[in-house]
Amino acid sequence: MLKRFALHLTAAATLAAGIGTASAEPRPAPFDAPEDIDIALIRYISTGDFFQAYLSGVEAQAEALGVNLRVLDSRQDAALQADMVDQAIALGVDGIIIQHGLPESMQAAAARAVEAGIDVVAFDVEVDNPAIPQIEQSDYLLGELALDQALEDNGDAFTAGYVYVPGIAPLDRRNAAWEAFKAEHPSVTEAAVFGTLDNPIANSVANQARAVIQANPMIDVFFAPYNEFAAGVKIAVDEMGLGDDISIYSADISTSDIAAMREPGSPWAATVATNPTVVGEVSLRTLALLMAGEDPGQQVVVPPTLITREFLNDNAITNMETLAEKMPQFAHADVALADWLPLPGTGAQ
Amino acid sequence: MPTVLDLEGIHKSFGSNEVLRGVDLCLEAGEVTVLMGANGAGKSTLVKVISGYHAAGTGQMTLAGDDYRPLSARAAIHRGVVTVHQSIDDGVIPDLSVADNLMLDRLAAREYGLWVGRRTLNAQAEEIARTMGLTFDLNARVADLTVADRQMIGIARAMAHTPKVLILDEPTSSLSAGEAERLFQVLERLRDQGVAILYISHRMSDIKRLADRIICLRDGQVSGVFEQAPLDVSGAVHAMLGQTMAAAAITPVTAGAPVLSLSGVRLAPEAAPVDVEACDGEVVAFTGLLGSGMEALAETLFGQRPLHSGQMRLDGRAYRPASVREALAAGVFMSVKDRASNAVVKDFSITDNLTLPFLKAFSHGPFLSAARQTRATARMVDTLGIKCQSLDEPITTLSGGNQQKVMIGRWLQTRCRVLLLDEPFQGVDIGARRDIGRHIRESAPGRATLVFVSDIDEAIEIADRIIVLHEGAIAGEQLNQNLDLDTLVAQAAGNG
Amino acid sequence: MLLLAGLVIYFSLAAPGFANPRSAVFVLQSVAITGILALGVTTTLVVGGFDLSIGAVATTSLMLAAYVMVVLEQSAVVAVALCLLMGALVGLINGLLIVKCRIPDLLATLGMMFLLIGLQRIPTQGNSIATGMTLTDGSTAQGIFSEAFLWLGRHRFDLVIERLIPVPVVVFLLIALAVWLFLGFTRHGRLMYAIGSNERATALVGAPVERYKIAAYMISGVTAAIGGVLLAARLGRGDIASGNNLLLDSVAAALIGFAVLGAARPNAFGTAMGALFVGILLQGMTMMNAPYYTQDFVKGAVLVLALMFTFYLASRRGAVSRH
Repeated sequence: MLKRFALHLTAAATLAAGIGTASAEPRPAPFDAPEDIDIALIRYISTGDFFQAYLSGVEAQAEALGVNLRVLDSRQDAALQADMVDQAIALGVDGIIIQHGLPESMQAAAARAVEAGIDVVAFDVEVDNPAIPQIEQSDYLLGELALDQALEDNGDAFTAGYVYVPGIAPLDRRNAAWEAFKAEHPSVTEAAVFGTLDNPIANSVANQARAVIQANPMIDVFFAPYNEFAAGVKIAVDEMGLGDDISIYSADISTSDIAAMREPGSPWAATVATNPTVVGEVSLRTLALLMAGEDPGQQVVVPPTLITREFLNDNAITNMETLAEKMPQFAHADVALADWLPLPGTGAQ
Repeated sequence: MPTVLDLEGIHKSFGSNEVLRGVDLCLEAGEVTVLMGANGAGKSTLVKVISGYHAAGTGQMTLAGDDYRPLSARAAIHRGVVTVHQSIDDGVIPDLSVADNLMLDRLAAREYGLWVGRRTLNAQAEEIARTMGLTFDLNARVADLTVADRQMIGIARAMAHTPKVLILDEPTSSLSAGEAERLFQVLERLRDQGVAILYISHRMSDIKRLADRIICLRDGQVSGVFEQAPLDVSGAVHAMLGQTMAAAAITPVTAGAPVLSLSGVRLAPEAAPVDVEACDGEVVAFTGLLGSGMEALAETLFGQRPLHSGQMRLDGRAYRPASVREALAAGVFMSVKDRASNAVVKDFSITDNLTLPFLKAFSHGPFLSAARQTRATARMVDTLGIKCQSLDEPITTLSGGNQQKVMIGRWLQTRCRVLLLDEPFQGVDIGARRDIGRHIRESAPGRATLVFVSDIDEAIEIADRIIVLHEGAIAGEQLNQNLDLDTLVAQAAGNG
Repeated sequence: MLLLAGLVIYFSLAAPGFANPRSAVFVLQSVAITGILALGVTTTLVVGGFDLSIGAVATTSLMLAAYVMVVLEQSAVVAVALCLLMGALVGLINGLLIVKCRIPDLLATLGMMFLLIGLQRIPTQGNSIATGMTLTDGSTAQGIFSEAFLWLGRHRFDLVIERLIPVPVVVFLLIALAVWLFLGFTRHGRLMYAIGSNERATALVGAPVERYKIAAYMISGVTAAIGGVLLAARLGRGDIASGNNLLLDSVAAALIGFAVLGAARPNAFGTAMGALFVGILLQGMTMMNAPYYTQDFVKGAVLVLALMFTFYLASRRGAVSRH
């Protein structure tokens, strides 16, 4: 309820900003009969809080629009995901959202869907097709915002430990921000680079981080641009009793991260996040615009928000819902909007 | 008749155990040569040398005048030497169909190509089946067939090769008379076509029916060759069993109180009921061919298969074990046959193997006492004359005979009411065999001892009384004194 | 063993800060959880089986502990007790599937692994568990990871140096000792080895083979559950994870253990050493800034070498004794 209420508030705020009343506007075809529209969400990854929240965003927006949503989950099987696109074409869906995946396998499959006359949008996977808008949470911006905060807190001469696993698209984009930052601030030293995706990730990263801190006692800042990385580094710092000497800057956020950041003496100073639920909503809205014949643009970027430990403590935030409530820019993104497009929590009337 | 296969001075040893000690043998085209020999005489080893499973130690083999030294079973088959092994399940693959099984070795041949065409395969298999007079469904799973049918498939497949030399290792031991007759007809046809056949069997009826020549093997050497018609079969039996039993003759003990008694026990559904009594201090040997009911009797006594009809009594009380544990608890111990698969724990030392059944007696609470284990093992090693370097060496370093001593020693540590010994001399050299036999007899008082051996010679070496089983029924019984050996052999073969 | 010593010396020289008591404890801590799981797998290896479900049991235990405390708001004692019970139950089911239904061990435990990976996500619809999370009925979870529970993951005992030895390390060492004594020095352990070497022969000397096999899987389930509890206590949250890496690392440790002291068979001491070996290797390499993929590579290389050493030598020895 709280969440709906919050979204309602923010939606109202946007409306007041001059977008108009959603329900009053006549809907363009095919959304005059939304119950006949089938949309497929074809997922590459589904396990994890982020993906769970993303799905709930897509679902909420689909419900607000009144369209039917089918979720196909390939469980990190790239070939299966491509098959699922063909399956969706065969099912005769009207629109497809591709969520993550490998460019190699998805480019051809997505092109086939476009040829079949189906509107397609892609989230966080590069399908390189002018007919397919890309939804992105700006990972570069995410990294940049976090690093700016690190600079503000620690000055421009600190020794950093960096957690990074190459080959993962969002991490690679965040890495670009780190590279740019290092070039711009030569006084910042990178003492160690480490990282692993062995799950449970936090546990494995904690083991590594401890070895790193031991080998490099002068590290005072960790840049861990993924919340599981940050959680791992935090465990290591706590176990070594260095909470006061080290600060962690990260990306992404979850309820348990909020608790970890707010612990007394927690080294986790700030994180930058895009609300995955909002990304989900934006994905579906972009697809809807495309289906209605409007141009959502080739790139739809969902802007990130900086969340500091201080802010969480000051506002006594305990979970994602209270965070959304206290931080409207986190609960809603002003992208891919249209007068006729009902937002979640408003369209059901 | 031209000589097809010629063996000269073949030697083969396993470790210190010399199994073949200079065997000379020649097989001629269009002749059935019967090879006879007691257990452990070296028959199977000889067959395995010829068929490429074992490399010969020293000696010379020639096939149709050319040097013959097969390095694998495949190489032997390639040269036209085909073998039907005794153990049926070595020859067939239970999960495949009859047709697949008949065609198995062709499928394994490189020339066959990649694809298996069901229709061609079935047609070829049908051809093979027809020559053998097999009538069953080619698409049936072999696992669903009877033992005899499975063996027929193994033989049929061997026949399909049009071999130069065909070796059959006890092929009729699990066949009915009708099935055996069918086999004989096929063998006769092959003989007429000029195939040299080496036929290994104990069955007198087979031998009389088929043999052109008999060669007897004893202790790894040829002990007799009979080729004058009419063949002197009983001379061959004596050559096979040798004259040593006169030296090993024993005086049967006067039996004590009855310990174990069986009445009206049926070993097979349609077999005649069996009545047996075994007394304190007595060693009773059961002998018979495969399928004679020995296995059923041993397993019923040891709680491995349920008693269907009749009654068993142990010291006067009803005895009906539902499991091995119950049999052991009642004081009925058994040293099982096939020690490699049923008894030896390969990863364990001599001590751990010997003490395995009675670990509780060597423990303080749950913790084992190595000292107690070692003491008991040392005692048993001494009594049985087990030759080993140390008590902690792995059991696999011992020779077969010494391994068997350990297996039997297991059950001699504690007093029992009934000791069952199933094939105690399997794969055991003469020396160890004597040691084991002597100790079994010495320790016999205080229990009833039942020995199950398929070799009559072994029965004579150890028993006070010999009972011959045939098709689940008692075919004959004699005290081990002034034995009528020919009768025993005939009874075992079903000609009593 | 020599290799282990060599490794320690090498890293001490190559990576400053490697050789001090804290560092040693850190290595122990990082191997404690996989080590505990590996000891469980060792018992199933001893009876000639295999347990693929341990990783999933550990993460299920992690989720269960979090769920019991955060959502059901129960105490740490209840959480731990339920986890151990769950581990024993899973082991029992594994054992029954293998012994009674005659399903091959790999298949039965593979099925159990998938079942558990799915099952642990059902109560929270795939979400991680943390205090303050929104539940399906719209309310927020009010329970917390109690201090007593977190103590399991975070407390350190004093030993010479203050706050030196963390609880998981103590648990690991205790379990290693217990499994070592059980397998090596009790008749139950001896019979379990006998079952692994020749099941038929062991049955024919009157040992209750089925009960021992089930017991082995139950031990494996319980140790995996303990690993999961310690993991939960360390993380302080109910992260969803498949536990596959835990499985692979612990199996590697148990297999490397075959080679220790030339035992050529599963043994608790070897397993503990194997876990330690991998831990030291990874700690040392991380300190020297080696990227994560080289660590997987090295882990794999060590495993392959250990297996070669074990099985090649065993076959050589077998061949020698036969001739």
